[in-house]
Amino acid sequence: MRDKLSLLGIVLLALIAMLVALASLCGTQNVDSHALASSGVSQAINGANAEFKGALKAVREAEVAGADKQRIATLVEQLNSVLRMIDEAESLLLQGNVTEADAMAERTIEISKRIGSDAVELRDETSLKTFYDKIFTFSMAPVASLLVTVGAHYGWKWWRRREVERMMRMEIKKVKEPEEEK
Amino acid sequence: MLKLSEDMKRAVVIFISATIIFSMLAYVAVTPRPKEQFFQIYVLGEKRMAERYYPENNSDIPVGRLVQWYLGTTNFMGSVQYVVIKVKLGNSTINAPDDINYIPSPAPVLLEFRRVLMDNETWEFPFAWMIGEVREDGNMIHAGVLVINVKNGVEVRSGEASAVKGYNFRIIFELWTLDPLTEDLMFGWRAGGEQRAAWLQIWFNATKPMSS
Repeated sequence: MRDKLSLLGIVLLALIAMLVALASLCGTQNVDSHALASSGVSQAINGANAEFKGALKAVREAEVAGADKQRIATLVEQLNSVLRMIDEAESLLLQGNVTEADAMAERTIEISKRIGSDAVELRDETSLKTFYDKIFTFSMAPVASLLVTVGAHYGWKWWRRREVERMMRMEIKKVKEPEEEK
Repeated sequence: MLKLSEDMKRAVVIFISATIIFSMLAYVAVTPRPKEQFFQIYVLGEKRMAERYYPENNSDIPVGRLVQWYLGTTNFMGSVQYVVIKVKLGNSTINAPDDINYIPSPAPVLLEFRRVLMDNETWEFPFAWMIGEVREDGNMIHAGVLVINVKNGVEVRSGEASAVKGYNFRIIFELWTLDPLTEDLMFGWRAGGEQRAAWLQIWFNATKPMSS
């Protein structure tokens, strides 16, 4: 009887040990999966930050190309909304809301890509316009010079004629000497 | 050899001179004028003026008392800039940011405020904070200060610092920008081939709550 009881005790202890081991294994697996998910979201947030920088670079290039201020302001506002969303994704991640943080980060990546492509389009459009504007401005220089030259030529001619005519109208006046007056 | 009349010679000289002058004017018109590139950073008190930084003008801040400031920065860089204002909590012994070698303060970062600014744009926003708790630690009487930034009505736990007897805490504001060369954040900014930095700090003392 005593042998049976001790055998039962050993079996029970083994069962408890197995249950404890199983529970601890399950717990570890949960932590691991959570850690994996967090690192995945962190990567998504890093990706969002990298994409944001790319979009910012594109907007800067569009500005350097001479894009309209109003359109740049619109793109900058969109960039700021991306920043707010990245902040939100980071705080969601800190709160442990992995799914929403991931979704938010993915959304910012999409928006940043769209901003980047809009900015590239604006840059190309503006570069072409700026190029033509520069050509027009510089081509105006010889045109303006020609006008000035023609104006100067005819102005000179007119002034010469006027001077000659003035000369022709001149009369020789006799000035009375003081001795003659006496 | 082609012989030019006096009139023709004169016209050619005028044309060449005018072309040179107008080309120079065109160059000036299409080339943006260089201007000094810099940022401005400021902190205002509760009335949005450079005064009343502390409640009742007393730099001894009791636990739980909300302190309201306004942080602002203006972009005079002539282009779109990405700015980050890093808020750090330090004491009297921790190094302040180094203006000469452009080294930021080693104090821990509590918060970061980020924004993309247009040229000539000013970004001003409220910065409300309070001391969450003060702890005494042994004979040295260190005070642990927990600064809580109240952002959009939501309390954001920020960080902790210690100071002997709770005296001479400081909140440091550093301006960081995105370096166009390295594509990384840098302390200060790069203008005309040289680096510059801007930062601010406000000192305060932490006091224990009144015992009831």
